[in-house]
Amino acid sequence: MLWYKAWLETRARFVTSLLALTLFCGLFVHHALGQIRPEWKSDFHRLLYVTQEFMAILWIMSVLLVGMGGIVHEKAVGTSSLSLSFPVSRGRLQHTRVGVGILQVVVLGVVPWLTIFMVSVHANMPVLITQVGFYVALLVSGGLVYYAMAILVSSLIEGAYTAPAVAIGLVFLSVIILDSWFKRVSLWGFLTGAFYIDKKTFELTGHFPWLGTLVCIGAATLMLVASTKAVQRHEF
Amino acid sequence: MSDGLAIETHDLVKQYGEVRAVNQLNLRVPKEQITAFLGRNGAGKSTTIKMLLGITSPSSGTGSVLGKMIRDASQNREMRRDVAYVVEDKQLYAYMTVEQMVRFARSFYADWKMDQETRLLKQFQLPLRQKVQALSKGMRTKLALLLALARRPQLLILDEPSEGLDPVSIEELLQEIVKAVAAGVTVFFSSHQIAEVERIADRVCIIDHGRLLVDASLDAIRREYRRITLSFEGNAPPISPSFPGVQQVKTSGRQVALLARENADAVVELTRDLHPTSVEVTPVDLREVFLETVKEN
Repeated sequence: MLWYKAWLETRARFVTSLLALTLFCGLFVHHALGQIRPEWKSDFHRLLYVTQEFMAILWIMSVLLVGMGGIVHEKAVGTSSLSLSFPVSRGRLQHTRVGVGILQVVVLGVVPWLTIFMVSVHANMPVLITQVGFYVALLVSGGLVYYAMAILVSSLIEGAYTAPAVAIGLVFLSVIILDSWFKRVSLWGFLTGAFYIDKKTFELTGHFPWLGTLVCIGAATLMLVASTKAVQRHEF
Repeated sequence: MSDGLAIETHDLVKQYGEVRAVNQLNLRVPKEQITAFLGRNGAGKSTTIKMLLGITSPSSGTGSVLGKMIRDASQNREMRRDVAYVVEDKQLYAYMTVEQMVRFARSFYADWKMDQETRLLKQFQLPLRQKVQALSKGMRTKLALLLALARRPQLLILDEPSEGLDPVSIEELLQEIVKAVAAGVTVFFSSHQIAEVERIADRVCIIDHGRLLVDASLDAIRREYRRITLSFEGNAPPISPSFPGVQQVKTSGRQVALLARENADAVVELTRDLHPTSVEVTPVDLREVFLETVKEN
């Protein structure tokens, strides 16, 4: 039943984020498609790329929100003693929360893009499902790093407002630093697809970046392991 | 660790920076009895309970609950299957309804009693579909109590269980506790309500500044503790606080009041040498023992 608690705890944030993302993507693409003719292929693909860029901003904010909470936050609201009195380990509490969170993060990436796909089909300009898959995979795998960072921050900082403020600050900082001085490893460039866009056709091209994906998943895993250790050592 | 004890600690210490919240605590809670844990705010009661349940880790010392070592994470987890705990501030998950909260807690325990749950829901008049955040403090306390009392654990730990309850609910709570002990449950509860403690406790532990000052049965306290008032013709002579059997000495003009913690008769005999004009021996209630003990400390 720990998954049930994790779901109830994040449900409002998750559903609000999902609705906001889906509505934004659906309306944005629907409106833009009205301005494009089917033969303007590059404009159509450019629209998808721009949508991914806008969506990535909203999506990152959403996963930061979903990643907040947990047992350290519970100390601030006074329920940590109750949670820790159940016959389960702190590790299991954390793993369940992360497991439910990762499912939510994937849904937050898939559903808006499926909406874009359906809107494009309805407008008789169907986007290739391979392009949808490419965008979703980049968004979710790259974005997992931000989700893991949110989990790590919320496992270290108790405050209900301090933790999200620090997490948002770290996102901006990482985007500024990586985009300014380490462009080749920019997470933003990876998850928006900027690294894999053909500058003429605006289509995602080439092989799927497995190495980049593995690096992102590896970095996220490291942060999630660190967050579990932090929770196990935390004094409540 | 002794067989007849539900809780046992040896020199348990909890240090927060410069502050020693619990100071070399040697606690012994016998099985199948009601042990009250008394102390002022900040005396170290909740910290001790949190250490027992593995919520916070001791700085030094050892302890066991139901024979399981508290510092061993896996033993502590196993022990928590047999322990029901009511948290001090009765905070529950605000985003759950009463029904969801009960269902969630029920899923962890094999000793959950559905008939008990139904009976308590009715008795406490808890609204199943209401969100926890919309409950009053009293109703939240009742829900927290239901989560603990709907089981038949080996050990029931209650941290100020009657706080926020109306007199009728307090009465119901005390009856539930007595019923639980009759069924073989050990109860360890902290409280500021000395009248409640006097009504149901078998044993009393008084803690102050993290140190255990009194650990005795309530009967022994009632039997042994006495106030001895000595009156003199002139000003009272100085009496050393280290007088054998005496916990406290208060001098006021021609009178000296002694608080004897044991052998009151022997103390009276010893004071004869001081030639008082009168000696009055009166029983002392738990409230007075508590106040004098913590004040003196």
